[in-house]
Amino acid sequence: MTLNALRLIPMRSLLDLITGYWWDLRDFSNLTRMIYKHLEDWGFPDWSIYVISGLIGTLGIIAFIGGVAVINIWVERRVVGRMQSRLGPNRLGPFGLLQPVADAIKLMQKEVLQPASAPGLIYTLAPIAFTVPGIAVFAVVPWGRHAVLASLDVGLLYILGMSSLAVLSVFMAGYSSNNKYSLFGAMRVIAMLVSYEIPIVAGLLGVVLFAGTMDLQGIVLFQEENWAFMVMLQPLAFLIYFFAISAELNRTPADIAEAESEIVGGYHTEYSGMKFGLFYAAELINAVSVSAIIATLFLGGWWAYKLDELVPGWMIFIGKVYGVYFLFVWTRGTLPRFRIDQLLAFAWKWLTPMAIINVVVVAAEVLAWEESGWSAGFWIPVFIAVNGALTGALIFGFVKFFAPKFQRFPTRPRFYPDIDVPSLPAVTGAEFMAKGGQA
Amino acid sequence: MIADNGIVIAFWLLAATTIGCALMVAAVRELVQAVLFLALTFVGAAGMYIVLSADFVAVVQVLIYAGAVSVLMTFAVMLTPAADRRNSETVFQVPALILAGLVLAIVVFVTLDTDWAISDRGAFSATAASLGEAFLKPYVVPFEVASVLLMVAMIGAIVLTQEDEVPPRRQEGE
Amino acid sequence: MPIKVEPVEVNIGPQHPSTHGVFRMVAKIDGERIVDVKMVVGYLHRSMEKLAEERTFTQNIPFTDRMDYLAAMSGNLGYCLSVEKLANIEVPERAQYLRVIFGELQRVASHCMATGAFINDCGAWQTPVMWCFRDRERVLDLFEMTCGARLTTNYMRIGGVAFDIPDEFLPALEKLVNDELPKAFEEYEELIVGNEIIMMRARDVGVVTPELAINASLSGPMLRSAGIAWDIRKADPYCVYDRMKFDIPVGYNGDAYDRMTIRIEEMKQSLRIIRQAVGDLPGGAHKTDVPLAIRPPAGEAYSRVESPKGELGFYVVSDGGPAPYRWHVRAPSLINLSVLREMTVGQTIADAIVTLGSIDINVGEVDR
Repeated sequence: MTLNALRLIPMRSLLDLITGYWWDLRDFSNLTRMIYKHLEDWGFPDWSIYVISGLIGTLGIIAFIGGVAVINIWVERRVVGRMQSRLGPNRLGPFGLLQPVADAIKLMQKEVLQPASAPGLIYTLAPIAFTVPGIAVFAVVPWGRHAVLASLDVGLLYILGMSSLAVLSVFMAGYSSNNKYSLFGAMRVIAMLVSYEIPIVAGLLGVVLFAGTMDLQGIVLFQEENWAFMVMLQPLAFLIYFFAISAELNRTPADIAEAESEIVGGYHTEYSGMKFGLFYAAELINAVSVSAIIATLFLGGWWAYKLDELVPGWMIFIGKVYGVYFLFVWTRGTLPRFRIDQLLAFAWKWLTPMAIINVVVVAAEVLAWEESGWSAGFWIPVFIAVNGALTGALIFGFVKFFAPKFQRFPTRPRFYPDIDVPSLPAVTGAEFMAKGGQA
Repeated sequence: MIADNGIVIAFWLLAATTIGCALMVAAVRELVQAVLFLALTFVGAAGMYIVLSADFVAVVQVLIYAGAVSVLMTFAVMLTPAADRRNSETVFQVPALILAGLVLAIVVFVTLDTDWAISDRGAFSATAASLGEAFLKPYVVPFEVASVLLMVAMIGAIVLTQEDEVPPRRQEGE
Repeated sequence: MPIKVEPVEVNIGPQHPSTHGVFRMVAKIDGERIVDVKMVVGYLHRSMEKLAEERTFTQNIPFTDRMDYLAAMSGNLGYCLSVEKLANIEVPERAQYLRVIFGELQRVASHCMATGAFINDCGAWQTPVMWCFRDRERVLDLFEMTCGARLTTNYMRIGGVAFDIPDEFLPALEKLVNDELPKAFEEYEELIVGNEIIMMRARDVGVVTPELAINASLSGPMLRSAGIAWDIRKADPYCVYDRMKFDIPVGYNGDAYDRMTIRIEEMKQSLRIIRQAVGDLPGGAHKTDVPLAIRPPAGEAYSRVESPKGELGFYVVSDGGPAPYRWHVRAPSLINLSVLREMTVGQTIADAIVTLGSIDINVGEVDR
């Protein structure tokens, strides 16, 4: 009976329907075309279609980010919970998936306390200003071959500018709280920003030199064209960017700005309720936006060796983003924190020289590529080998010659089976009193 | 239509923001707040560059001025012993206001008085590339001189602020 | 032109995530560097030593639980030893072995907590502390199996221990000592001991010189980290420690890293002692009969044990009545804490937190 009923459904066209929608999932081109067509039919002027399509894209990104901020609370807590040999939230909803909702409701119900001496405007603006750049970064990140909201010529610089604005808002929060711990956090952030901006920019310069463009879509297309992820061509830049950006993100091992065990909460010590919730969400959003940047610049973004012809590009992209995000969660769950002077020394003495050497080498390679006229098929494997060897050599050399000498003393203590004991007047209290109170 | 009207709207919005923030820099009594308003002013100026379709300069403005220069200014403010949360009133307020008014008047007068020549070349395309070409081909000497100057300034700052007596501190590996 | 800065006074505590309770450290800070530290203790003062004068000798045992609540067994043991010394009570052989077993298990639990909390103070995001808690829980399960309580055990009695061990205790203990804990310690070695960031954070931080350690009468891992081999279990053996074979781990530099590795090695030595004690565990009574309201003869007695924190001494004076005339506790946490100023001045805030964590204080014991 049921089988017969099934026969009534035209299987062939159903398959077409599914595959058709599947293909449309790649960049929603049919959907957008449909919307445009309707808008045109209704007699909207051209510029309004331009505005509306931009608005739709923006809303889509904001919806994605809102979902990410909610889901990542759960992801982070579950993953770290597993690393800490416990379960993580598992009570609310299936697998504890509703835990973020409960967290959000709790935060919204809490009273928002504000220090009486805090300058109200800056204090209130800081969490908002902290959240915006993480979202704004997604404007230039490509989601697919045709799915990018704003294909800026200077996309990479735009991202760097946004991330430096985020740090300024951390300073706003720390300063306006009028709390000594917050001020410590704020000043630490400023010191860190001044140091880490340089290796970040210099590290990314290698990528830009190879791709010949600062447009993120252009960088993805370069990787597709040359059939190699940028992380193979630029492993050193990847490592430098990863370490430096985890310092800017305030995540362990570089979370000295909030350093819970030292300065309580750093810049957000005085925040409560949903204002704190915004900081919390912004931290997760920033982590995801940085993961998106790493996935785009170094891991090919939506492109993955022909896989993007089968699976919609944005799915590959989100998969890569979460792969990188897992790396961040992993380091956070594993490593202790650096001290601030060690962290700054790491930026100045290790990352910056490495980044500069990297830029020089990449410039020479690009020059050789352009001047020789040989094909990419010859040069790309050579570059992969050379840069891999360079990365290994630099890391080995720096560890060998510049690392602080950890092993000054053995890690295991000495062992004494017996000790010298000076003779003691070992008597009980009763004996002591019987002798007249004298030992 | 959107191209013309939109740019006009954007220009006036940005101009209002920039000038408003610039006024606030002078008006607020707290130095750190002034620095933060200055950062907003820089962002507004960056918006102006975008209106002029110089997007490279705009982004660099945000990156360097709003991101780095305002941070350095915060450093300077925090290290200034006299910078309290609330600045006291000074006798220089009125003369400073008069001076500022004079400067503004001169700038407005010159702007209105000048016979501006309208260039017939269109907007720049790919400003990053053309700027790079300009820096490394015709203007390479001034560019290098400027970098050397900045380097000298940096070394000078380090020498000036370095304390003579560095407190002894045990380092790892020594 | 040096920049003139004024030191800022920062209250670290009493409400602070890393002061291990309600301890307060008033630090004068110049930039990130500490110029001066003032310690403020007493927020958890419960006047136990005075209250004890109103209660019988047996009723005082729960106070020792609540002093160092992370090492309740050691506190019980030290107090019972002092009363037994005062009243000349013989303790059965089996009870002595049980006291050694539980004392060493308590040392493992306390050192687990100390190591985990120390790494947390170094800034790890809860992972090591959770691992250490996991292993501490295993030990506490054994306590629960024996005496029903996990934290404030109240297990030792004057003249023995409160209960004999249940039948399922020894298999569980053997599994723990021979299988689970050695594996856990291997994990610690990989995760913590070889970690370069921990070395950078803990080496040369909070250094105690041997002279300072002796002059300040430090004890426990604090003293041993300074390179001085001293352990009450060897120097003045109580219970049956003179029959046990074990080594004393001693550090090189007196810094926080040495203290951490010493704690980890001491846990291994504790397992060694437990194995020997379980092998030799005799039968017989677990307790001599002692009147509940015991009236020791007038006199005084001091007895000391090597608690996880250091030398824990109990000084008891009796006037022949059912309650002690005077009761004084030599709390290792308080005495180890007394060198905090010497250890932290000249370091950064982050170092001060690491130093405080490496002392392994328990504010319940500091303030009593």
